[in-house]
This record gives sequence, C-alpha cells and structure tokens, in this order.
Amino acid sequence: MKATWDIFCSVVDNYGDIGVTWRLARQLVAEHGLAVRLWVDDLNAFTPMCPGADASAAQQWQHGVDVRQWPAAWLPVAPADVVIGAFACQLPVAYVEAMRARATPPLWLNLEYLSAEDWVEGCHGLPSPQPNGLRKVFFFPGFTEKTGGLLREGSLLARRDAFQQSAEARQAFLQGLDVEPEQGALLLSLFAYENPQLASWLDALATGAQPCHLLVPQGRIVAGLSQWFGEAPLPVGSVRKRGALTVQVLPFVSQGDFDRLLWSCDFNAVRGEDSFLRAQWAGQPMLWHIYVQDENAHWEKLEAFLAHYRRGLSDEADAALLGLWRAWNMDRDMGQAWQAARQHWPELQEHARLWAVRQAAQPDLATALVHFYRNSL
Amino acid sequence: MKTGKELKPGTVLRIDNDPWLVQKAEFTKSGRNSAIMKTKLKNLLTGYKTETVYGADDKLDDVILDRKEATLSFISGDSYTFMDTSDYTMYELNAEDIEAVLPFIEEGMEDVCEAVFFEGRLVSVELPTTISRQVVYTENAARGDTSGKVMKPAKLKNGTELQVADFINIDEWIDIDTREGGVYKGRSKK
Repeated sequence: MKATWDIFCSVVDNYGDIGVTWRLARQLVAEHGLAVRLWVDDLNAFTPMCPGADASAAQQWQHGVDVRQWPAAWLPVAPADVVIGAFACQLPVAYVEAMRARATPPLWLNLEYLSAEDWVEGCHGLPSPQPNGLRKVFFFPGFTEKTGGLLREGSLLARRDAFQQSAEARQAFLQGLDVEPEQGALLLSLFAYENPQLASWLDALATGAQPCHLLVPQGRIVAGLSQWFGEAPLPVGSVRKRGALTVQVLPFVSQGDFDRLLWSCDFNAVRGEDSFLRAQWAGQPMLWHIYVQDENAHWEKLEAFLAHYRRGLSDEADAALLGLWRAWNMDRDMGQAWQAARQHWPELQEHARLWAVRQAAQPDLATALVHFYRNSL
Repeated sequence: MKTGKELKPGTVLRIDNDPWLVQKAEFTKSGRNSAIMKTKLKNLLTGYKTETVYGADDKLDDVILDRKEATLSFISGDSYTFMDTSDYTMYELNAEDIEAVLPFIEEGMEDVCEAVFFEGRLVSVELPTTISRQVVYTENAARGDTSGKVMKPAKLKNGTELQVADFINIDEWIDIDTREGGVYKGRSKK
C-alpha cells in the first residue's frame, strides 16, 4: 500500500510557502508514487501558480495531489503516515491529537527554511520531542550533503537543457507571452520585493550600450517600476521603453512557465526561496533579493550563500558578483555594480551553469525526505 | 509552560513524563523572522543525553525547580563543588552539567550563583546576568581607540577568549553579560 503523506502549508505572505509545498507535493506524487494531501489555508495564493485550480473548493485533485482547504474549524481526518508542517506552521490541535492516537505515530517533520549557514548541518534531522510524547523532526533543506538537499525534479536539468538548446521552443514560449525582444537584446527577468535600488539599476540598463528587455511578472516590484516611468501602476501587458531599456509586465505565470521564463532569460533577478532556487537551476547569471529580516539577520544568510556560490570564481569576477548582490540587498548604488558584473559576463555565465550541475549531483529534497521516512520504519 | 525561545541552561522540561535538563541552548534566527533553539538535553532519571531542536514558539512543559544561592567552593579536575550560602551544604557537579557557564567559571570567583535543584538534587548552576572577570592577556590597543566600537580578542584567567573593546588592557576587569554565551559589556567598576 502507498504511504500517505500530509503536507500543511500556512500562507504567511507572498508565494514562497505555497510555491515550495506545491512543488514538493507534485514531486512526491509524480516521482515517488505517494498519496499526498496538501492542506492550504489560503487557496487564493495557490490558484495563480496552478491554473485551473479552484480557490473555493474544499477538496480538489491537481496533478495527482489531493489539495485540501485547511479549514479554520478543523474537521477530523485520519492522519497520514508522514506529516510535514512547512516552515514551522502550527498543525491543528485535533490533528495532533489524532496523530498521538494512532497505533504507530506518523513521522512528523518540520520542513524548515532554506539557508546556507553552517549551523544548518548541525540541526538537520534533529528530533524535537514534544510534551505529549510525539516526536517531531526538524528537516533542513540546504546546499551541502549534510543537509536535506534542494527541491529539484529528476528531469529538471534535462528539460532545461532541451529547452535552452531549442531556439524554436524558446521563441514559441516567449511569443506565447507576447514577448518579442529586439535582435541582440539582453533578456532579463525581475521578480523581487520592493527595492530602493531598482531605479539605479534601471538607469544603468537604460543608459547601457546593449539593448535590454526586462520581463517583470506581476508582483510587488511593479509599483517601483511604474514609479520610475512616472506612471500609475503598469497593468499586465504594458510595454515601456526608455533609452536602451524595454520593460514588459507579464502576468503571474504557472510554476512550469516560470521555469521556462528563467531558462529563456540571460539574467534573472529573483527573491525569497522558491524563485531563488529555480533561478539557480536555470543556470544563468542571477541576483537574489533576500527576504528582509529584523536586525538585518538576512545579511548573514546572504553572505553564507555567497560564500558557497562564489567558490571557483576569479578574484575580479568574485568582486563584481559580491558588489552586485550587496548593492541590491544593502541599498547601494546598482549602476556601477551592474557595469562591473557585465565586465565578467562569460565567466559568470559559466559559473552559474557549473553551480547548477554541482548542486544537482546531490540528492534532491523530495528523495531525501522519502529516504528519511524509509529509514525511520 | 515555556516557549522554545525561553529555554536556557538549567531549565528542566517534562517530556513524556521524564524530566530533561537543558544543558545548552543556542538561539538561531531561521527564515522570515522565525527562530529555532538548538538544545542539549539530559534525562535526569537515566542520564541519557540528546540534542534537539525547538521552534522559538513551540510550547513546552517545564518543571518548577527549587533554587538556592550558592558560591563556587573549589574545582577538582572536572568536578565543581558549590556551597549553599544559607546552610553551607556542599554540592558537586561535573563539567558537563554546567557546560554552558563553564567558560566563566574560575577558581576564586565570588559570584553568587543560582543553584538549581530537581527533587533535592543539584542539577545545574546559573551565573548572575552580569559578572566581572579579569583580563590576563590582550594585545595593546592599536590606535588608542576609545569609542568601544573597535574590538579585539582577550583571554581570561581560565583561558576563555572573548572580544573586548580595543582600549582594555591586561589586568583590567571587564563586565560580561552571561545571557548570550558571554558578551563583553564594558570596563568593570571593580
């Protein structure tokens, strides 16, 4: 009999929680043949990334996943064999009681945030014994073999390579979004939180020698973009041009199309956790807008990732990459930082591709979770 | 009831009816303004030790413990003997039981500590929030900085190293905040 898995997702803000849990749920079904229920407390965050989903349905099947509305008033259900609380979300009290009542308690995992910091290795897989006798386990994704790995579908890099090697596939995809970049233009994507340095970057792109076409999926950064053009919020489909820069606002796309967007672009500016990781798999130069935390705790996390990511770069390219990422995240001028990065473009491209290959050599997160469960039996 | 972020060495948790002493607690900021507490726990009935992680907001049952004032009497190898200041009873702990405060335990210290008892047995010792210690070695100030913002390493009598202000000299006394693993606070008035 198939093992059953329950994944609980509480949508706190943005699309990171649901983005990660939806990918994980689909992969567990598609690649490991598991029966997965995904409990989501706000399906309005789910429908944009799963076209065809119904935000009002209490229960629906999507890509083989049993997607459930996580109701405020919990209704009794039999707990699954494996229970994942994503990002420290608190499970319904009645559900936890039902877990305790099972003859064999489920494997209860707390799936944590992605971080490249050293302490993650020392915390990954540690138990968290609860007062009621249940034992939760903290499971940390990460970039090293002593962590739970990264979310990556088995065929991801092969699909990416096939797409990137097919000019027709790329062109057809972009045409589907009404994107027609000028010949020789650098194609860029931007998915970020509000950023005070957006204007200095746009200035640099607009005054550069090479034409740039910036694709911006609908999101929080669009307000700043509109402000730079001196306009009211630009609606989806808007195309604006200033100097060498063309900006195009795209609709919010499905996860599959977001991957294709990243694969299509020469450079991807991303944010948070889910798009951050997908941009790494895209194997193109990238820029991460990290989630801002109190007391600038995110700076340490940014530097920890950079410490891994920068390895192998020449001193010059390393300095350029550092300058760019710090400028974007520490409110420094992006103009010079962008120009410096452009000086080392071929090396940054090669480095991004190698980084993806190196990371893909490690077991992926879904597989690591399945192994962890099997070993717990 | 305690939350994960309130755990500290000396806390005793009741887990599945067993008392577990928190020997070490490390607070770490996780993602999106959440945090975790990595702890080292010791089962007070069996002596079994384990490492655990709790979310900062996880709710845990703690055991109400008896506390008494005590001072360090003497150190013998890995054994640390404390004296109850009210009745002069001697209690012995080994180094592992006081791992978290060990860097600031030294012969001759006069701090009045809090001895923590579970069912009449001394299980841990907590230091005062602020303690004074003498610097036995540090490099001379580089540029005569007096702002207190430039830091340098310094060694205490028991070998513990920590960062102190650049203007601190050898033999000077410094104040240390013991709550977050020992953080230099300033020049001591001692």
